[in-house]
Amino acid sequence: MARDILVLVEHAEGKVDSITSQLLTIGHRLAEQTGVKLVAAAIGHKLDSVAAAVQDSGMDKIVLVDDPALALAPAEVQAHVIAEVARQIDPCLVLIGYNLVGMELTPAIASQLGMNAFTNCVAVEIRDDAVTVTRPLFDSTIHAQIVLEENATAVIALQKGSFPPLETSSKQATVELVSVDVTSIPSRSRVVGIIEEPRGEVDIAKAEIIVAVGRGIGNEEKIHFTAELAEALGGVLACSRPVVDMGWLPRERQVGASGKTVTPKIYVACGISGAIQHLTGMREAKRIIAINKDPNAPIFQVAHVGVVGDLFEIVPALTKAAKEARVRQD
Amino acid sequence: MNIVVCCKAVPGLVTDLKIGLDGRSLQYQGQLLSINECDEYALEEALTLKRAHGGQVTVISMGGIKVQDVLYYALAKGADKAVRVDCESQDPRVASAVLAAALKKLEFDLVLTGTQSRDTLGGQVGIAAANLLGLPFAYAVVDVELHDNNAVKVRKELGGGRYAEVELALPALLCVQTGIQPLSFVPPARRIRARQQPVSSLSPTDLGLPADQLVPKGYRFVAVHPPERTHQVELLQGNRQEIATALLAKIQESL
Repeated sequence: MARDILVLVEHAEGKVDSITSQLLTIGHRLAEQTGVKLVAAAIGHKLDSVAAAVQDSGMDKIVLVDDPALALAPAEVQAHVIAEVARQIDPCLVLIGYNLVGMELTPAIASQLGMNAFTNCVAVEIRDDAVTVTRPLFDSTIHAQIVLEENATAVIALQKGSFPPLETSSKQATVELVSVDVTSIPSRSRVVGIIEEPRGEVDIAKAEIIVAVGRGIGNEEKIHFTAELAEALGGVLACSRPVVDMGWLPRERQVGASGKTVTPKIYVACGISGAIQHLTGMREAKRIIAINKDPNAPIFQVAHVGVVGDLFEIVPALTKAAKEARVRQD
Repeated sequence: MNIVVCCKAVPGLVTDLKIGLDGRSLQYQGQLLSINECDEYALEEALTLKRAHGGQVTVISMGGIKVQDVLYYALAKGADKAVRVDCESQDPRVASAVLAAALKKLEFDLVLTGTQSRDTLGGQVGIAAANLLGLPFAYAVVDVELHDNNAVKVRKELGGGRYAEVELALPALLCVQTGIQPLSFVPPARRIRARQQPVSSLSPTDLGLPADQLVPKGYRFVAVHPPERTHQVELLQGNRQEIATALLAKIQESL
């Protein structure tokens, strides 16, 4: 593996996304183990602060494509530019974050480069001299380990939160400006604007205690079981995506990749299986309690305390105990 | 507006999972196949657009004869035509090449599909096919508006409550997010009637794909197993009162 490892820097409004530091940490480790160079690439406009933020992250070089046309470019143009940069660097691996941005860009970049892409990965490491990725299958109940063949190239999209944070390095990366003729890229789409979700009546991101309800609740009429628990604990009610999709709770209550990221002291997950999109939004909670009838549910991968059982038995009993404790306190 | 919806047929409970002899596929006892939930939302959106703007909805799925059930289900929901591509591959590169070749045989203004399938959790095939066909694309779309019959304006998720509004010239491919429309119920009588509708099929030969594009390359599976526990979860046991008491104590000590 003599070719470099390329990490794609994700940023918005001049700030580097935290997933990038995880990618750089893991890229650095892989580069050291295999004796190749680590290169980072950022595309966009006004990238000075972006370059400065990652320059001491242990990579050898950071490549910038800084162009006003990239300030608000559609995904097809971004993928084209990234593929062009990748062609110039000719890396063995391209590491990218598996969030909504990466989900859209990864297949397009890989397809342009004619590379395999492995998305949703929880690990990439060297095992027996071979690049090995681990990724979930079948609703995350199974993990598959996949070995890349010698000299095979791949785009690897990694989940957030599975890796230690960045160690800074005394090595300052050299900055290389690369120009790509962005306006000549054939594009049949354009970004009209960026919209922020209007604030609702509750901000679940501010809560210290969250009781979150998932698809396991079964139907809208039963949501009250979890609402009562939230109230008895003095917390707020939140939910996973399917509950919003079914129209049982408003979108402002949604925890996860497309909803809010929360870090409460207590997170009680009731009937939530734990799809990666949900875990992304709550895995940093101080104490995670999961109640689920399926012992293999991925939520137990991140939970500190778990109950394998029927939430319709456990939740009302906990609500009752919490209410009684309050009465005793008063 | 003519819309093609790509629906994957996915197994429910999977047992006896093994790595295939070629090392690049997985074998399992898959019970009943059903429509991948994310793709069902794409179908609902297509039917909603058809009601508003007219045109035809064609549903396409890839796989063996068992996949036909999913196509009948889509017909029962209101799709006009169904096409099965007789090719089985879970490899994203192969699947997107096959899908792109099949789409070339169909007439469409818009291709809709979901964000990912519950079996491989890859989320690649739609956008990779769009790239092969040179179509503009958008992922995690939560709203679609037709503009003058030659463009769509969509709202797509960027994560954390942020969205982008994107205008795409037609034909385009959209991966729609779950919840874009409520899922409709299909009465059993309609499902039975739908089984009398024709389903056309395309073979790899019909698609004229060279054999080397139908074979996964560059990797092999070495292990499949339940996720390793990276940290120990403390599982509480007992009757409901005991569990409730223990849980409350855990909650109180964390505050």
